[in-house]
Amino acid sequence: MAALGRQVIDWHRLMRLTWATIARQTSHLREQRMTVVSLLRPLTTASRGGSLKELSCVTSRKYMQEAECRTDLSQCLLEKPGTPVDRGALGLEAITTSLLDMGFSDAHIRELLSIQPRPTPQQLLDITSELILLGLNPEPVCVVLKKSPQLLKLPVKQMKKRSTYLRKLGLGEGKLKSVLYCCPEIFTMRQRDINDIVRVLREKCLFTVQQVTEILHRCPYVLREDPGELEYKFQYAYFRMGIKHLDVVKTEFLKYSITKIKQRHIYLERLGRYQTPDKKGQTQVLNPSLKDIFRVSEAEFLAKTACSSVEEFEVFKKLLAREEEEGPEGCTSDSEEGTSSGEDAGDGDSEEEFTDGRN
Amino acid sequence: MAALVLRGVRELLRRADFATAPRRHRHKKKWATTEPKFPATRLALQNFDMTYGVQFGDLWPSIRVSLLSEQKYGALVNNFGTWDHVIAELERLSARDFVNEAFSHWKLEPEKGQPVASAPAPVSWACSPNLQCFTFAKGDISCFPRARLGSLGVLDYYLMDAASLLPVLALGLQPGDTVLDLCAAPGGKTLALLQTGCCRNLAANDLSTSRTGRLQKVLHSYVPEDIRDESRVRVTSCDGRKWGELEGDTYDRVLVDVPCTTDRHSLHEEENNIFQRSRKKERQILPLLQVQLLAAGLLATKPGGYAVYSTCSLSHLQNEYVVQGTIELLANQYSIEVQVEDLTHFRKLFMDTFFFFPSCQVGELVIPNLMANFGPMYFCKLRRLT
Repeated sequence: MAALGRQVIDWHRLMRLTWATIARQTSHLREQRMTVVSLLRPLTTASRGGSLKELSCVTSRKYMQEAECRTDLSQCLLEKPGTPVDRGALGLEAITTSLLDMGFSDAHIRELLSIQPRPTPQQLLDITSELILLGLNPEPVCVVLKKSPQLLKLPVKQMKKRSTYLRKLGLGEGKLKSVLYCCPEIFTMRQRDINDIVRVLREKCLFTVQQVTEILHRCPYVLREDPGELEYKFQYAYFRMGIKHLDVVKTEFLKYSITKIKQRHIYLERLGRYQTPDKKGQTQVLNPSLKDIFRVSEAEFLAKTACSSVEEFEVFKKLLAREEEEGPEGCTSDSEEGTSSGEDAGDGDSEEEFTDGRN
Repeated sequence: MAALVLRGVRELLRRADFATAPRRHRHKKKWATTEPKFPATRLALQNFDMTYGVQFGDLWPSIRVSLLSEQKYGALVNNFGTWDHVIAELERLSARDFVNEAFSHWKLEPEKGQPVASAPAPVSWACSPNLQCFTFAKGDISCFPRARLGSLGVLDYYLMDAASLLPVLALGLQPGDTVLDLCAAPGGKTLALLQTGCCRNLAANDLSTSRTGRLQKVLHSYVPEDIRDESRVRVTSCDGRKWGELEGDTYDRVLVDVPCTTDRHSLHEEENNIFQRSRKKERQILPLLQVQLLAAGLLATKPGGYAVYSTCSLSHLQNEYVVQGTIELLANQYSIEVQVEDLTHFRKLFMDTFFFFPSCQVGELVIPNLMANFGPMYFCKLRRLT
């Protein structure tokens, strides 16, 4: 309840956040700082009694601390060459206040301001506010920006454009948070690349819009995949394994690598424990659930689902890798023309004209 | 109207005399351009799931995955070439001679606690000599490079399923034996028989002329001319079932490696697959054919001589069933007594290299396993007593 109240207040504050307001505040703050500094001098030089002193001491102390902070930081900023000095020092104060208004704590602000490589304060403010507007809370924003400082280099326009796009896709708030934690390049990558992925999901794989959002939310690494390979992975699920769209989304199938998928699926298939459903969706074997195939660890997969040994699976993985490499031809050519090279795939068999049964 | 008449005529023709010639021998005018919707390989797999699922129970999944995966090969060293060089090269590849290992295995661990009288016969007596076959260790999936022509003009090794060597080893050739290989093609086991150096005379037969052609090619590539001279090696293309009449009581050792459903092959090769619907009848009478061939082989064995029956199928019906059926047949119809030889000790020698099915009623069965993807190979040693 209190949190909700805080959120309301935050949003309320955000509403008032326009550049004009900031500018006004900046000038206002400048005056305030002057006043504080001027106030301090008479306070320290001439002692006055009572509450006024205390009050002003308290307020002044608060402002002193902040001023110290700011002066420290502004000094640091000043050390960095090429930064417009006065503007930098100026922006810093405005930023800090704006950040406070947005709901960041002092600790957060300190973290944000210490990100290397140092962004311009304006940049910092723009990016963070975009993220806040997308519905992220301050804490995640800090974490994300710390982890992926390259986000702060983005031109604001691109940031805004991408934000609009993400909103359209339905990715905001908590969903965006989890995506950003794994895949911050959702902001930095080219629009064309995101389009390609989304197009594959929508037009080739025929997922609905909600399903696409869900996929991007749960399996953000699809953004890093080659669109062709993503399509292949889906087709493998749909045609080869007989998994329908709903299950592909629900079980987060697309987040597993195609190698792992093939290894586990083909192993089960050859063991006779998994069967692709026929046209009517029926199988002669009860297929294990997708969770038991993919989500579990390899040890558990072997023990419970495959009921096979670790050594056999290791050998199988190697054999499968070789099969994939070689394509339809075999390792040693099975026979018919193999006599001169001296190969016999088991006596009595592998013959172009088997026999008519009599020998 | 005309269409109806035509259809009626067609029906009649179908039911007429043409039924006597097996369908595959009739001239096929039109060849399909698309793949069958339900390929024979899939029918084979279904058949196996039904029968072997029951027969092997919990063992079946691991056999199944091995059958469907790439098989493992062994390299039978050609003793007629520069075999010492070849062996050095194969050892460099980290392969080892499993036959040699089996023998030394026996030597290191002689049977404990057994009275001398019933001690097992020395291995050299029980196994055919001079066979050297290299394989990679269990779990190692390396491939052998293709065989090359050596300095003596013959290929240096023959790549085959290592399990195929076991029937030849079990036959226990002795120097100077007359040997019959009743269903010899495509020639791996025949070549192995020659490699032992024990064959005074070898008769190799296969019904199919094209397959006998392959056999000849193998012999030409591996065996020098003087050894495969016609006086010593005779290749024929006759019906093996006639051997009892043709050459009864003639041979010291007989190998009957009968045509079977070639389980592994049937799961991969679509062409001429015995599980095609058109060959169903043929497949169903296969055990009968196998009994006839084994009977002929035993009739051709000298009394006191040995025969080995082998197939590359997992099926009871083609393996134990046939052996037991033939023994009964010979006892009843010919009054010939045949005894099954116990191969337990033999099996133990090779357990490091192969996986064996533990519960065969008669004979031994090598089952495929991903760690050692050889087989399937069933073999049973028989002795003709009378």
